[in-house]
Amino acid sequence: MKLWTSLFWCFSIVSGVLAAQSSPDRWEKYEALARSGPVELDSSSFVELTQAPRDYYAVVLLTALDARFGCVMCREFDPEWDLMARSWNKGPKLDGLKVAFGTLDFNDGKAVFQKLMLQTAPVLLLFPPTIGPYAKLDAEPVRYDFTSPIGAEQLYAWIGRHLPEGPKPPLVRPFNYMRLISAITFLMGAITLFTVLSPYVLPIVQNRSLWAAVSLIAILLFTSGQMFNHIRKVPYVAGDGHGGISYFAGGFQNQFGMETQIIAAIYAVLSFATIALALKVPRMQDVNGQQLAVFIWGGVLFVTYSLLLSVFKTKNGGYPFYLPPF
Amino acid sequence: MAQSSLDVLLKGSSGRNTRGLLRIIILLTIAAAAVASRLFSVIRFESIIHEFDPWFNFRATKYLVQNGFYSFWDWFDDRTWHPLGRVTGGTLYPGLMVTSGVIYHILSFLTIPVDIRNVCVLLAPGFSGLTALAMYLLTREMSHSPSAGLLAAAFMGITPGYISRSVAGSYDNEAIAIFLLVFTFFLWIKAVKNGSIMWGALTALFYGYMVSAWGGYVFITNLIPLHVFVLLCMGRYSSRLYISYTTWYALGTLGSMQIPFVGFLPIRNSDHMSALGVFGLIQLVAFAEFVRAYLPGKQFQKLLTSMVFLTFGLGLTGLILLSVTGVIAPWSGRFYSLWDTGYAKIHIPIIASVSEHQPTAWPAFFFDLNFLIWLFPAGVFMCFQNLKDEHVFVIIYAVLSSYFAGVMVRLMLTLTPIVCVAAALALSTILDSFLVMYKPTPESQAKANADKTAKSFSSTKNPVVGIYSYLSKGIVTGSLTIYLLMFVAHCTWVTSNAYSSPSVVLASRLPDGSQHIIDDYREAYYWLRQNTEDNAKIMSWWDYGYQIGGMADRPTLVDNNTWNNTHIATVGKAMSSREEVSYPILRQHDVDYVLVVFGGLLGYSGDDLNKFLWMVRIAEGIWPDEVKERDFFTARGEYRVDDEATPTMKNSLMYKMSYYNYNSLFPAGQAVDRVRGVRLPAESPKLDTLEEAFTSENWIIRIFKVKDLDNFGRDHSNAVAFDKGLKRKRATKKKGPRVLRTE
Repeated sequence: MKLWTSLFWCFSIVSGVLAAQSSPDRWEKYEALARSGPVELDSSSFVELTQAPRDYYAVVLLTALDARFGCVMCREFDPEWDLMARSWNKGPKLDGLKVAFGTLDFNDGKAVFQKLMLQTAPVLLLFPPTIGPYAKLDAEPVRYDFTSPIGAEQLYAWIGRHLPEGPKPPLVRPFNYMRLISAITFLMGAITLFTVLSPYVLPIVQNRSLWAAVSLIAILLFTSGQMFNHIRKVPYVAGDGHGGISYFAGGFQNQFGMETQIIAAIYAVLSFATIALALKVPRMQDVNGQQLAVFIWGGVLFVTYSLLLSVFKTKNGGYPFYLPPF
Repeated sequence: MAQSSLDVLLKGSSGRNTRGLLRIIILLTIAAAAVASRLFSVIRFESIIHEFDPWFNFRATKYLVQNGFYSFWDWFDDRTWHPLGRVTGGTLYPGLMVTSGVIYHILSFLTIPVDIRNVCVLLAPGFSGLTALAMYLLTREMSHSPSAGLLAAAFMGITPGYISRSVAGSYDNEAIAIFLLVFTFFLWIKAVKNGSIMWGALTALFYGYMVSAWGGYVFITNLIPLHVFVLLCMGRYSSRLYISYTTWYALGTLGSMQIPFVGFLPIRNSDHMSALGVFGLIQLVAFAEFVRAYLPGKQFQKLLTSMVFLTFGLGLTGLILLSVTGVIAPWSGRFYSLWDTGYAKIHIPIIASVSEHQPTAWPAFFFDLNFLIWLFPAGVFMCFQNLKDEHVFVIIYAVLSSYFAGVMVRLMLTLTPIVCVAAALALSTILDSFLVMYKPTPESQAKANADKTAKSFSSTKNPVVGIYSYLSKGIVTGSLTIYLLMFVAHCTWVTSNAYSSPSVVLASRLPDGSQHIIDDYREAYYWLRQNTEDNAKIMSWWDYGYQIGGMADRPTLVDNNTWNNTHIATVGKAMSSREEVSYPILRQHDVDYVLVVFGGLLGYSGDDLNKFLWMVRIAEGIWPDEVKERDFFTARGEYRVDDEATPTMKNSLMYKMSYYNYNSLFPAGQAVDRVRGVRLPAESPKLDTLEEAFTSENWIIRIFKVKDLDNFGRDHSNAVAFDKGLKRKRATKKKGPRVLRTE
């Protein structure tokens, strides 16, 4: 922490001496650039924006949007950041309080990332002014750490805390007219479609087998832990360290995506065998056919249940029960 | 001769009576088994209240029994949430306490001397017996076969999904709430079937009881309207439905509003709006049905269309207006987090921090329900067969509650009843056809063909014939018996191993196999009770608030009620800050003792250092500038407690209290934390403002006394340094390079 700030300081002072432009000029240049959202920066313009004599606040987001880096939080946060900068730039201009918003992508500013010794992205830096009414004696940049995904509102509060007291442009979330219009269009389209197609659709909607299938699939998905996958974002499968694939996660509280599908399939087979034994078999007219069906479904039930128990035993080591084949 | 005498018993009206008697005996046996299987913890340990929340319920019950109902209703508790206090009477669900109070008074009226503690400990097993009976009644309504009801009762009695919350000593709201849930649903089905005001009113009565007992009543409040709504969509409106729903809604809402904690929520909160909406809808449908009887078809069509548009528009604008003006509150956070699963993590860390609110992995389903989990879909499928009103209810309940159980571990409890119903339906269908001696003959086949009726469902188009060979019957019943026996063994094993530990007392096995009991919690709480002043304020993390209140009988700063996030964050801040910051906080809140739970010596993983990040997070939510989660992680993003721990971590009060003097147990430099599996720094942390007051046998609980202000007005670090005989440091005699003064 200390190291990089001091490094940063050396470098910004040097560049500040070298730079010929004075602070008000740079602010005007920024204002001209910042039509709506944050200004896209590269290494040199980053240095220019944040060099020492400045009479404005500079808030810079260092991010890595390229898909290669797989930074989910960067991409999730980007529209929020855009909204933040946009509403600030478009808000009422207040005397004296100048805030510049900039974005530096890793691809455009590798040098800056190296100089600041940043290992992670995104990082948000807030540079207080060094001259002017709000100048701070201790003008080190303040750093915001992204530990969990946040929205523009939380960031607005954070920035607001570091600015001087007084009125600030409000955060405006633009109303999404497109969405409203598309929703209305979609709704009307759906109603029209329904009225036109109702003679064909109604039999499907009222079909009991369809509803039965949907309910059973839903139940199977939920009871095999699909919601856990959805909430915890578990991997689909994982390697076992020897080049193979391990289908079942170790431990009682873990699971993989594929594992839940296997379990759902096992449950489905077991349920179907039960349904067959309960409903189909007693309705079979043929004596030998019935005998055979009982053998088959009874066997399927037994073997699959044994498989399920053995899978459960791998998850829960101390489990004492099992059935023969597995 | 024997044959004929048996015939007398099995046939005719005396046969009916014999079967009825058998059924009663079986049900009583099931209830007894349900009670007995929950007594592991009493036999192994003793008659003791478990976990955390039950300790509060127990304390409240004692207050109720000692001071009477009215003072319980107006109870302002100044021994929790110091210095705020809590309006306990108005912020709890009184059903549980009142129930056990009534039982206690009845028993003493019958001159049976019994301690209120034993009533509380055994309340949950007792009610589980009743739940099994209610389950029998509910399942009886679903199926013609009486065996389905008996099977469902047996499943409900011993399935671990329900035992997990109702072992002896687990004196929590769920103990009686599940019985009320099942019984209310039984009454509702009865009301819909008969269309009688009496059953509707009884439903409302038990619904009111449920509201007074558990916050989960919202499940009923939404499930019954959904059932009605689906029936209306299916075009199954009937006067039965109208009568039962309107009776239930009107009386039930009035009843629920009598509970102070619920108050006007039923007409102002979005959680309850679906019930109100369906109430309005059913009036409209009833009116339309009424008008249809008097108007010719064409005019009726016109009227209907205009009416639909009018009411839809009016209803929507009304709802939006009321929501915008704030008359109707938005969805409550806990309820909302069920639908938007990412919501709680971002907005309410205190909800996300509770382990019961985590999503459920598949092994938990199998662990809690065993083979019922795969009979469950089969049973739901059978409900589609002759889709009557009550079967629609089962299907809706099944789909919804399996979703809820997937999202939140704790809601497994609401899934369990319907799993038992559906599994019993499936299993009884099999057993009823495979467990009969009767063998079909060609004549009976022909007869069956003759009364073939047209059914809409494909799998049951053919008539039932029966099972021909004894071999088939033997195979199927034999394997099912094996599964059932394994189910019983599984339930016993799970109950005995996973759900019967009181968590106040920890049990472990010694190398020779004998049981060793670790009783640090009670040791420490009794130390507090006997060695501290009656109103010494104890600060601890909120998990232990109820236990300190119940066992040590001392005022606490925060407890498991978690109604005031800021106050909890204050405690979190005190725990996670430096001593210089924490000490003023402790003084301001009159704290006398600080209690921490430390598992490092024993390898007890549920200790405060493992919960520490939640304290930091919650404190950060209120003071983002003073407490930062990032500072507790090393540069590489690891959470460490050894030499490489961050300075913020090492200076935090929690770290210091946990490891204070810990290395004195080990040879120099050998101190090891067995939970986190790391070697600790050679030097013990130094505490200036606190002094160690008590450490339990296995170091699980450590209690520190907050020092008073120094007599000479020095700050504590100077005073400690002076006591140790260190020379006072002079500011001017600093070593190191000289610094140019800039100001």
